[in-house]
Amino acid sequence: MEILLLTVTLVLYLLSTVAFILPLISTRAFSRALGPGLLLAAFVCHASAIAIRSVAAGYIAVTNFYEAVSFFACLTVGLCLLVQLRTPVALLGAVVSPIGFILTLGAFVFYTQIRDLPPALHSAWLPVHVTLAILGNAVFGLAFSASLLYLVQERQLKAKKAHAFFRLLPSLETLDELNYRSLSWGFPLLTLGILTGVVWAEHVWGQFWVWEPRLIFSTVTWILYALLLHYRTVGWRGRRAAALTIVCFAVLLVSFLGVRFLPGRHGGQFG
Amino acid sequence: MANRGATLLIVGINHHSAPVEVRERLAFSNGTLETALRRLVDAETVREGTILSTCNRVEIISSVTDLVAADEQIKTFLAQEHQASRSLFEEHLYSYVGKEAVGHLFRVAASLDSLIVGEPQILGQVKDAYAAASAVGTLGEVLHRCFHKSFAVAKRVRSETRIAAKAVSVSSAAIELARKIFDHLEDKTAMVIGTGEMGELAVRHLQNHGIGNVLVTNRTFSRAVELAREFNGAVVPFEQLQKHLRLADIVIGSAGGNDYLLGPIVVEEALRERKRRPMFFIDLAVPRNFDPRLNDLDNVFVYDIDDLEQVIEENKDEREREAMKAEAIVAEEIESFWQWLSRLEVTPTIVALREKAEAIRQRELEKTLASLKELPPHAQKAIEALSTSIINKLLHPPIVYLKSGGKDSDVQTDPDVAIVRRVFGLDEENE
Repeated sequence: MEILLLTVTLVLYLLSTVAFILPLISTRAFSRALGPGLLLAAFVCHASAIAIRSVAAGYIAVTNFYEAVSFFACLTVGLCLLVQLRTPVALLGAVVSPIGFILTLGAFVFYTQIRDLPPALHSAWLPVHVTLAILGNAVFGLAFSASLLYLVQERQLKAKKAHAFFRLLPSLETLDELNYRSLSWGFPLLTLGILTGVVWAEHVWGQFWVWEPRLIFSTVTWILYALLLHYRTVGWRGRRAAALTIVCFAVLLVSFLGVRFLPGRHGGQFG
Repeated sequence: MANRGATLLIVGINHHSAPVEVRERLAFSNGTLETALRRLVDAETVREGTILSTCNRVEIISSVTDLVAADEQIKTFLAQEHQASRSLFEEHLYSYVGKEAVGHLFRVAASLDSLIVGEPQILGQVKDAYAAASAVGTLGEVLHRCFHKSFAVAKRVRSETRIAAKAVSVSSAAIELARKIFDHLEDKTAMVIGTGEMGELAVRHLQNHGIGNVLVTNRTFSRAVELAREFNGAVVPFEQLQKHLRLADIVIGSAGGNDYLLGPIVVEEALRERKRRPMFFIDLAVPRNFDPRLNDLDNVFVYDIDDLEQVIEENKDEREREAMKAEAIVAEEIESFWQWLSRLEVTPTIVALREKAEAIRQRELEKTLASLKELPPHAQKAIEALSTSIINKLLHPPIVYLKSGGKDSDVQTDPDVAIVRRVFGLDEENE
C-alpha cells in the first residue's frame, strides 16, 4: 500500500511539474487550477504514504535516509500549498513540484523495509529532533524557491524582456518578503533542531557534541544562515539576498543528503 | 417538441460594420427596451428574442422558425421602432445563423468582438440584455441556455487567457512594471522631476492605482508648486533633489535639458540611505533625464521611453497569442453547445419513432393473437418476440443515422430529421 501510494505520488509530482511548466511555453490554453490541484493531490497521497508507514511502524517515520528525505519532500510541498493560501504565488509550484519529485524519487531509490529501532533511537527526542530539523529544512526550501523566482523576475526586469514567466510571477517585493519571512521562521527551527539533538546526545551518549561530518556540516549551515539573516537585517535585500539564500540551501542539501554516504551517528549505520 | 424547427438568428450592427451615426439611430434606451421586446417576439416567427444595445453594437439575438420571414420581420421591426427608413441601415446589417450565431454571441460575451479586445464591460452588458429579456419573458429554452453558456465561455476566456491584462499606453505599461517591482503602491512615494505632459499623465495613472505620496520638483519653482497642488503632493526644491531622492520609490523623469539629471553615484548614495529598497526610474524625457547605467545598480530598474514602447509592443504580440487561445476555447464551447442543441431536436424524434412503432406492433399483435386463440402460450410468446425483433431491426439504422447526424450537421434546419419525420409520418395526428 505504501509503495503504491508513493508511486502514485511520484506520478502526480511529475504531472504537476508538467502542468506548471507547460502553460509557460505553450500557446494553448490551460486551466490555471490544474497545477495546484495536482500538487495538492500529490501531497495528500504522499502524506498518506508516510502516515500508513508510521502507523505500521509504531513510530513517526523519520528514522532513516529514505524516511527522512521523503518526509522532507512532503513537508516542503505542504508548506508551499499552505503559503498559497495567504500569498498566491502560483509559480512557486513550478519550483516546488520538481523538488518534490526529485527528492521523493531519491528517497524511493533508497527504500527500506520497516525495521525495529536500535536502542539508541528509542526516545521521545527522536521525533522532536528530526521533525524540527526537517521542518526547518522545508521552510528553507520555500525561501530557496522564492529566491529562484526572484532572480528570474529580476533578470527579466533588468533585461527589459516581458516573457510569459514575467506575467505570472508576483512582484519582487512579494518574493523578497516571502524570502525574509521564510528565513526568520527557518532559522529558529534549525537552531532548535540542533539544540534538541545536543540535549538528546547528552542523554544517550553522555556527550553532547562529537565532531562528526554531519555536525560539522550543520554548524557550517547554521553559520551561513545566521550570516544571511544578519545581512538581511542590516539592509541586504533583493538579488544578493536571493543569491545567498540559494547558496545556503545548496549547502543544506549537501549536508542533509550527503550524510547518508559518510560515517557518523546520522550516517550509514542508521540508514 | 417545442423547439422543433427553430433556428438561432442574430441580426445586428457594430463598430466594424457601421459608423456611429447609424449605430446611434438604432440604439435602444433602457426605457424603451421592455415594450420593444414585446413587439419583437411573437409566437409565430420570432419565438425567442433579446436586444443587446451598447454604444458599439445593436444586435437582435433570436430563435426563429422561418429564417427568411424572421429576417424580414426583424428589419421591419428595427425600422419601425426607430422611425428610420430601412435603406439607412440595411447595408450595414450583418446576420448570423445557427452555429455561426452561437459563435458570434460567445465571441461578443468574451469580448473578442470588442473595439478594445478584452475590455471587461461587454459581459455586463450582455448579462443586462439577458436579464431584461428574461424579465419580460421573451426567452425560451434555447436562448436561456445559449446565454448562460456565453457567460461561462466569457469566464473561461478570462480565467484561462490573459487577454484582458495588457497595458496599451506608455503610462499603463509603466504601472504594469511598477506592480512587478512593488507589491502595493499605497505606502510608496513617487517623485516627478519636471513638468512635462507625459510625466503628468504618468503621475495621474499612479494616483489612480493608489500611490501613497507624490513629490514634485522642477527648475521653475512656481510651476512645481502648481503641479503639486494639482496632485495634492509636496514640492521639493530643485537644488535639493539629490538630498530627497532617498524618499522616492518611483522616480519619473520628465524634464527638459541635455544632461543627465541623475547618475550612478548619486543614486548609489540614495540607495544606501534607504537600505537598498528598490527604486524604479521611469524616464519619459527625450533627451533622457537618467543615466542608463543606473540599471546596473542592484535593486534599481530604469526604463526609458523606448523600453516602455517595447513592452507595449510585446503586449500586442502576446494579446494576439492570447486571442488565439480564446478563439480555441470559443470553438470548443460552440461544439459542446451545438451537441446539446442537436440532442434537443434528435431525441424527441427518436422517441416519437419508437413510440409509433410500438403502437403499431401492439395493435397488430392484438389483432393477430385474437384470431389465433388456439395457439399454445409458448407460440404466442414467439410471435410477440418476432414482432419486437422485426421492429427493432427495422428502426436500428434510422436511429443510428439520426444520432450520428446530430453530431456536426446543422440539425435545427436539418433535412435529415425532417425527412425521417416526414417519411415515417411522425407529425401526422393520430391515424
